Amino acid sequence: MKKCLFADQIDDYLLNRLEGEPKERFEEHYFNCPSCFRQIEERDTLISTIKSRGAWIFRDKPAAERRAWVPAWRRAVSSFSPRQWATVGVAAAAILIAVFALMPQFRHASPQFFLNENEVVRGESLTLMSPIIDVRAVPTFFEWKPLAEAAEYKISLFNGGLLWSAATQDSRITVPVETQQRMLPGQRFAWQVRAFSARGALIAVSSKVQFQIAPAD
Amino acid sequence: MENRPPVIDLNEVVVKYRPVVSFKVRKSLGAHTPDWEDVVNEVITQVIEKVQKGEFRGDSSIGTYIYTITSRRIIDHIRQKTKVLRSVPEPVPLPDPCDNAENRERAQIVAQAIQQLKPKFKEVLNLYYYQELTRDEVAERLGISPRRVSERLNYAQRLLRKMIRP
Repeated sequence: MKKCLFADQIDDYLLNRLEGEPKERFEEHYFNCPSCFRQIEERDTLISTIKSRGAWIFRDKPAAERRAWVPAWRRAVSSFSPRQWATVGVAAAAILIAVFALMPQFRHASPQFFLNENEVVRGESLTLMSPIIDVRAVPTFFEWKPLAEAAEYKISLFNGGLLWSAATQDSRITVPVETQQRMLPGQRFAWQVRAFSARGALIAVSSKVQFQIAPAD
Repeated sequence: MENRPPVIDLNEVVVKYRPVVSFKVRKSLGAHTPDWEDVVNEVITQVIEKVQKGEFRGDSSIGTYIYTITSRRIIDHIRQKTKVLRSVPEPVPLPDPCDNAENRERAQIVAQAIQQLKPKFKEVLNLYYYQELTRDEVAERLGISPRRVSERLNYAQRLLRKMIRP
């Protein structure tokens, strides 16, 4: 677009540097030139703002103030040299390699269980399903939720001391008749299941669930 | 053969020239003069009357015609005011709250945009528009050519236009 010859006088006019005939010629021009008038209005707003706000408008904000809104991570990023970045990259790669190389060795290691009076247990949870509440008759089986990693379960039945224990590969076990005969109505029992991996490592222990067989009428 | 007055759409003329007349009146009388709007209305009324009476013959452009009426009216206004001032002190002008609010908002937007400019652009705006140095003086102060000063001024204004555009 061709520039108007008068456009160069806009600043001089607004800054009162035009006088007499040149000023009148310029004013007459912008009455006839919408393009120049638009520029004059825009420039006038700019100059009025600068004049009314004063010199502070051009000052740079203090460094502390300017940095305050910059997120900490951006400051950290910007403070790293390329060499430091390279070191960080190598260190991160080494950590990842170490983690992935060593992880399989620990994957099948036994979790630590401390089965004492207080039953401090860490590891996967093993949920018992039946019996978990008081029952009317002597239970003929015990059942729990299977664990994918478990190759064998060991069940223990307590009645004060250990009454019966057995091992199975299923998540359900039938109570032997002789054990059933030792479970009398009115008595209270507790049972617990432990799960073992194929390598024989203990991987889960259930809580000890109590139940009572209803007293005979 | 007698010249016929050109056909003028007065509505269009008023819409187009009111802002131009307002600007010229404000610039000549000062934006704080309380009755600048009255002067603008008087100019517009005069233009309408003269065009309707066929006084505008088309010897010049309508823009030049309106400029002439505006300039004369401003001179008359200043003469009248001078007479009034000799006898009675001028009342304190009351600010127009709407005008002030609008201007304040606009100035705020422009000010924020200026603050976001790079230092080299702020510097040139400061020296040229705030300190009112000439282009050559700004060039000397910054150690660059006057042409470079003009380029920076133009570029700064282009950036501001972009930032301010709604």
